[in-house]
Amino acid sequence: MIPIYKLALCSVILSGILGGCGNEQAPDVPFAASGESYASKVDFSKLERDLPLAPLDLMKITPESLEGATQEQVDQIYARLTAGPIPDGPYDGQAFFPKGSSGGARAAEIVGGGLKGFAVNIAKVKLEHIAEAIWKGKVFYRDQSVLRNRINDLSILKPFIGGETESLQKIDVDGKEAWMLFPAKLYCGQSLLDGRRESVIIDYAFTDDLPGYREKPDALAGREGLVIRDEIRMVRPGFYLGRAYMKKVFVLNFTLYNKEVAEKESANFQASGEVQEDCWVGPQRMLAKGK
Amino acid sequence: MNMKRVVLAFSIIFFIGMATIAVGQDSSFTFPYADESYTKSERVGAEIWFNATAGNERFFTYVYPQRLGVLIDWFGVLSTTERDYRFTRWGLINDPNCCKPGDPNCPAKSLDETYGFDYCPGDETLLNFVGQPGYEDPACSLKDAPLSDKDEHGPNDQRQSACDLRFGTSTGAMGIRKFPNPRFKKEQWVKVNNGKTGTWAGYNAKLQHKDSTQPDSSRVLDASVEPPFLIGLSCGSCHIAFKPLNPPKDPAHPKPENLSGTVGNQYSRFSQILGSGMDPRTIEYQVYGHARPGSVDTSALPNDQINNPGTINAILNFSQRPTFSHDIVKWHKTKQCSGDGNDPNCWCEPGREAKCWERKQKTEDVHQLLKGGEDSIGILEAIQRVYINIGTCSEESWANHLTDMRQLDPTLRGFGQTPFDIGQTRADCAEFRAIEDRLGDLGNFLFSARPTDLYQARNLKSNRDLIEQLDKEFGKGSVDLGKIIFTKNCASCHSSQSGPIDTRDFRARSKKPEDKGIRIDWLGNDQLTPVTEVGTNRARALHSNHITGAVWQEYGSETLRSKSDDPAIKEPSEGGRGFYRNISLLSLWAHAPFMHNNGIGPELCGGHGDQFYNSPYVDFLDEQNIKRMKNSPPCWPFDPSVEGRYKLYKASMHDLLNPDKRVPKVTLFNRDVVIRLFPKVSEGKLERFIDSTIVFPKGTPSARIGNFRHKEFAGDLVLSRVDFGKLESKYVGRYGPEQGKHVANMIRDRAKDLVKNPAFLLKIGAELREIYSNSLMLREDAGHRFGEDLSEKEKNALTAFLATL
Repeated sequence: MIPIYKLALCSVILSGILGGCGNEQAPDVPFAASGESYASKVDFSKLERDLPLAPLDLMKITPESLEGATQEQVDQIYARLTAGPIPDGPYDGQAFFPKGSSGGARAAEIVGGGLKGFAVNIAKVKLEHIAEAIWKGKVFYRDQSVLRNRINDLSILKPFIGGETESLQKIDVDGKEAWMLFPAKLYCGQSLLDGRRESVIIDYAFTDDLPGYREKPDALAGREGLVIRDEIRMVRPGFYLGRAYMKKVFVLNFTLYNKEVAEKESANFQASGEVQEDCWVGPQRMLAKGK
Repeated sequence: MNMKRVVLAFSIIFFIGMATIAVGQDSSFTFPYADESYTKSERVGAEIWFNATAGNERFFTYVYPQRLGVLIDWFGVLSTTERDYRFTRWGLINDPNCCKPGDPNCPAKSLDETYGFDYCPGDETLLNFVGQPGYEDPACSLKDAPLSDKDEHGPNDQRQSACDLRFGTSTGAMGIRKFPNPRFKKEQWVKVNNGKTGTWAGYNAKLQHKDSTQPDSSRVLDASVEPPFLIGLSCGSCHIAFKPLNPPKDPAHPKPENLSGTVGNQYSRFSQILGSGMDPRTIEYQVYGHARPGSVDTSALPNDQINNPGTINAILNFSQRPTFSHDIVKWHKTKQCSGDGNDPNCWCEPGREAKCWERKQKTEDVHQLLKGGEDSIGILEAIQRVYINIGTCSEESWANHLTDMRQLDPTLRGFGQTPFDIGQTRADCAEFRAIEDRLGDLGNFLFSARPTDLYQARNLKSNRDLIEQLDKEFGKGSVDLGKIIFTKNCASCHSSQSGPIDTRDFRARSKKPEDKGIRIDWLGNDQLTPVTEVGTNRARALHSNHITGAVWQEYGSETLRSKSDDPAIKEPSEGGRGFYRNISLLSLWAHAPFMHNNGIGPELCGGHGDQFYNSPYVDFLDEQNIKRMKNSPPCWPFDPSVEGRYKLYKASMHDLLNPDKRVPKVTLFNRDVVIRLFPKVSEGKLERFIDSTIVFPKGTPSARIGNFRHKEFAGDLVLSRVDFGKLESKYVGRYGPEQGKHVANMIRDRAKDLVKNPAFLLKIGAELREIYSNSLMLREDAGHRFGEDLSEKEKNALTAFLATL
């Protein structure tokens, strides 16, 4: 079958915004050979047994280099990560679609479908910007098991907010002011790609009981909207790789990065490979470590 | 001693005390297999069968709702305040050792103490660990049977720790087990449940959707809230049932002596239980939530897009069950592996001495198990596979091999199944090893099960007395005449003895002392008969999980898969599909209704007002013209009494032998299902969004949707626009040049229609159904017309005779 999802190389809509069109090279870490069909992909258990990623490998991975990887390579990296600690504090975000993918167009379509019922003229909404807004930056409140998204440009979401915006919560990160929207719950839960260990889940479905919830626009991400559910695993301290789903359909990859945490904790991680694990790791990671 | 030390010392004593109490507290397993008539190995096997989840409590609490997206409302099923209705509502068997908090003699006095569940043996320890780590599972106290002298891994006992069998304690329903959730947060729980501890009413609350056509959400989906218990299933959850020989006077309050672990619960409603958290307006509920009592679609989780609920088989006289020669690739116990330890076909367990496994091909005599003989590498492996099929090792080894129903891109993981890997699971999953190391005990227990004779159930001295009664009821000489008819018409399939049929004694017993008088005829030859010959609903026979590349590939033999497809079947039937086993008729009187789906005979229900009963009776002109019958026959309330079973048997025999009098049955949606999807078609390089609100109307046959290969359909629609030549080649290869080109053109034309008007999606799907359906047959009560030409007298005689078997 023709890989229809790869026909439109880098959607015009999203080019330059969400990445995936550049000339980046995939991270220099070992990957298993893989064919085109789903059935030809290496089993993650075998992958991890044969090609476990060492801390040094993980240090080679950057948000930029991930954009040069194919989706299968991104998946193979993700499967060899653990959830690590549930993050705390602000993280910069970047959504990306893998090399050769038309995922941008697909994401825009899915967002468009999810907007039905919101009484919004979809034609006037730049769908790609919604995706950009939601995965651009996040603030983790680890103690409360809550996350809020940093929205840098409120005008993108104006059609969904309505009314006054003065009461919206704001945050200052590195001197830049951002609005705090789309709260989500944080917990350890199932990965929809790799069941062998848990991921940190960022769940937008049941947020209406969170303090500061505002139906417009927060419901857009919720159970009657796009039903967004993100999952993340730690590449190395301060750097997480994520997968975003809408209505359980995979939409895009994203990275989260906190420079301060990365600089503070990476050396120790590189030397020891040790990291706090807040979620269920499963038995296979331990086997890989023991090699 | 200062105060801190006193507290510490007291705490240590307290915890040691609790651990001690935990040992052997849960005695629910001991009935009715505790007495010395069972060997130690059989008793251990029973204990595991009744209690072991082998870790699937994580599957049913986390994987099932989060990854598969299906919700169970455990509190709705197991709330202690609804204890008296569990049997009529869910077909569940109440655990006689449990009690309702607050009842006289119940150690728990309030619902808060048990979080609204029954109080059961072992809970005095377990409840202390809700929200706490460190619970020692009662399975740790299992006293294993001695290792068999013949065990290749002996003589040292190197079995995996019994703790990994995971018993937990009873939930109050037999075979459904609970475990303390260390992640539970009481403060959060009380808040979610409106200030109460002893209820889950806030946790499982429904949240109404603003769009009234859309299903309500269940708060169970909010995985940020951890329930107090993880809930798992043992094999016993489906197989434990009331003894036909000694049923309870009140099914809601059975006694230990009323229970059997092997007869199979013909009233259980696991399809409904496993979908109990779903809104009935979801497609998952409407496709999978209407299975008959006593049946469940065991390929609903490892989904192969064939809607095929099947009955829970009675386990009887397995030592007399026929075996067949099969070429098999599987793992065998061995003492060592040669080479450097990297041989993918040989593995030694780390930390053990000479406990190794080697994978190789051999020809062996094995049982043919499941409805179509698909499990065909050995009975012990088949037992182990069932644990996996109910969630054991699901995270380590299973979930990644299942189909993601929403993944439409064939280049991405989850588009289709991939084979479960036994070797990988053994290495990575302790629970797998814990079961595997005790499969001999489980096998011994199951092989100990014997038939239940009607004469015993009626407290008669012998079968001769029963024959007298039956002759009185059906006419003098009926049983003898019935035997003649059976010999002539039925025994070629439903007898396992060799030699001339005419002289067989179908009730003969073995005279070998070691056989303890076992009946020698299994009353089924277990051979595979083409479904086109039997004529019954063929969906189950087309089950595809054992074909090459599918999830259970490693549990099917090469002999099975080498069978050619059946040209008389339009649907895919390659890889050993298209057959039903000729089943055993032992104790037939106790196991009506009949057929693999309980489809022939009266419909069963929990009684008047049964909320789950969805009458399948239809006015049926043909497969395209089906309407729910207005004045359909009433359902029969569950009645496990001896006479209740007997009446059901007679009515089912009547339907079996009079196929033209059967009222047609097709399970239909009983709600509209509105789905909003985001499919798309592609025009060259442009991908277009299609407005796609689809309404599956009430009255849609469940199987029609459950059997439809929607992924291939979507892929072909796209292919027709982007590479028609490839589409044409595909169908020329499948149907030949003329028909193949016609089909490809038809798909292309329909794709054009769809681009013009997305609302045509359902109509187009219906027009192309023959191409994309895994099973086109809808009638659930069809076929097995053997005997329809017998006279009324002969039919009665056959009914009388079969009641003696």
